[in-house]
Amino acid sequence: MSPLRLALPGGALFEDACRLLTDAGVADADPHAFDRKLRVVDGAKSLVKVRPTDVPVYVEMGACDAGIVGKDVLWESPRDCYELVDLRFGGCRLVLAALEGSPLAAGTWPRSLRAATKYPVAARRFFDSLGVAAELIKLHGSVELAPIMGLADCVVDITATGRTLAANHLVEVAEAGRSTARLIVNQASLKTRSDAVDRLATALRRAVAPAEPDVPAAPPVRRAPA
Amino acid sequence: MSEVQSPTPGRAPGFSDWVGPAAERRRAVTDAFVDTFTAWGYAYLATPLVEPLTTVAAGVAGGSQTQLFRFMDADGDLLALVGERTVSVARVVATQLQGGPFPLRLCYSGPVLFNRPPLGGRRREAMQAGCELIGHAGLAADAECIAVAAAALERAGMGGVQIDVGHADFIPSLLDQAHLGPEQRAIVAGAVRRRDLVAVEAALEGTEVAEADRALLLAFPTLRGGREILEMAGARLTAVRPRAVIEELARLWDLLDGHGITDRAHLDLGAVRDWDYYTGPTFELFSSDLGFPLGSGGRYDRLLGAFGLEAPATGFVLHVDRCCDALLRGSGDETPRLPLRLGHSVRGAAGAVEIAARLRRAGHPVALDLESTEPPAGDVVGWAHADGPGGLRWRLPGKQGTGVDALLAELDAGRARQ
Repeated sequence: MSPLRLALPGGALFEDACRLLTDAGVADADPHAFDRKLRVVDGAKSLVKVRPTDVPVYVEMGACDAGIVGKDVLWESPRDCYELVDLRFGGCRLVLAALEGSPLAAGTWPRSLRAATKYPVAARRFFDSLGVAAELIKLHGSVELAPIMGLADCVVDITATGRTLAANHLVEVAEAGRSTARLIVNQASLKTRSDAVDRLATALRRAVAPAEPDVPAAPPVRRAPA
Repeated sequence: MSEVQSPTPGRAPGFSDWVGPAAERRRAVTDAFVDTFTAWGYAYLATPLVEPLTTVAAGVAGGSQTQLFRFMDADGDLLALVGERTVSVARVVATQLQGGPFPLRLCYSGPVLFNRPPLGGRRREAMQAGCELIGHAGLAADAECIAVAAAALERAGMGGVQIDVGHADFIPSLLDQAHLGPEQRAIVAGAVRRRDLVAVEAALEGTEVAEADRALLLAFPTLRGGREILEMAGARLTAVRPRAVIEELARLWDLLDGHGITDRAHLDLGAVRDWDYYTGPTFELFSSDLGFPLGSGGRYDRLLGAFGLEAPATGFVLHVDRCCDALLRGSGDETPRLPLRLGHSVRGAAGAVEIAARLRRAGHPVALDLESTEPPAGDVVGWAHADGPGGLRWRLPGKQGTGVDALLAELDAGRARQ
């Protein structure tokens, strides 16, 4: 049988993903093994390191059987994959934040709102759930700058510690969602390689089980502002 | 500096040309499918590439309509390029074939189009071939469709496919017996539909679903196996409806056994399909060489009703292009069968026409040189000369011979070896 192909997200989740695979006994995943090459074969597993947003692409297209990816990535590009396990690491929150001292930061929602975000799909769903007509401005980085420079009234962005927001004089107004890393699986691999996939999911589920589910899967729906 | 110009005439992104062996493979697979369908008594039917949007909407949920190419004709009517052909067949049956005789066995092949963004790696035009068996509500019809699909794939060179048989009513019946509120039920059903087990788990948290039901719902992606899985699931079920599903699948399994295809079949109770469309047994076909199903089908007893004809129906579609992908990955690029090239001398030209006709009648493609040569050019397989014994001097790699009969024998032996 050919090795099970796993896509790992480069970036912030990478080292934790490697540690989890190793701890769970799935594969000997040394992050430094990827320093020079992008693909590492360890026995019955073939591991590739790709950009986080590319993980669902590899998995949906069947180039990989399974992958580890943040839920925040799946919000933006929903793909035809199975999402099997909440891996409970890489936790972060999607929040609406506004400049200190602004009316929005004080809880007064303006009639119309311009929001800068790297997450237009999740932001749209959040504003729709609130019944707020917001104009979204898609940026690719340094979203915190947008309110300072007058490009937008607020941001909808990911925060893990809140430090970056604070450093840019932004305060959280509302939470739009919570994200953790997930195990996703190709729809055909789930059927044609079900034994290997089941073993992978079970090992990972067991490895992450002790922790309480500190983060619910579905973004909580907030009450509409008065 | 001048503007950069496109080096070649443009082709719309997401669409493919089919040239050479790929084109031949695609045609051969389509032919193998349709030949199988007709061999099982399914009458071939051709439907248009364009349907009114209202017709398409009968089979395609609102959200998926955005994946269709839609446009307006001169009268202002909304039209769509078809994204699947079952609805078209249903429309024909409900209008022109409503008198039967039922059961009607119909098959089709043709392209379908999707207006999905390019660069996603998914095709925007795909060849599909499929069957519809209309007017029979029994499981024998469902079993026949699965058997036809398996036979068609086998004839096209894909004998090792995996058949996953499920039932459209199993998960909905579990949801109903779980006593969820309407809102919670919708959330859980939506999560199952998205194949998001994490969200199913979260949605069931804090509900008063019985532990056994919860365990079954959370196990949905793994409720797979042979006939034994039915007993396992049946033992955990008390409600009438899910038990009825289990019994139906048991009977279907026995019918599939009769068709001799349970060696490659699995029962998949957690199969996630469009529950609004399918009403009974469903199935999907997988190859270990491809990340997408090669085909899928199932019972859809409500669709004909949307066109005013109450009739049960079941059917399936095979994705020709995905099958070609799987063939290519499974066996590598096989050498295509090139036509024989037949050359001739000036005096042998007339005889060469006859020899070519004889070879073609025997099933060998032959391209006759348009101009006479003297002596035979290097890669000419046959070279006809009026003076040669039997009218032909021929050459195959490493061989030399003299007559048409010898050439035919050699060609047949070569074909038998393939």
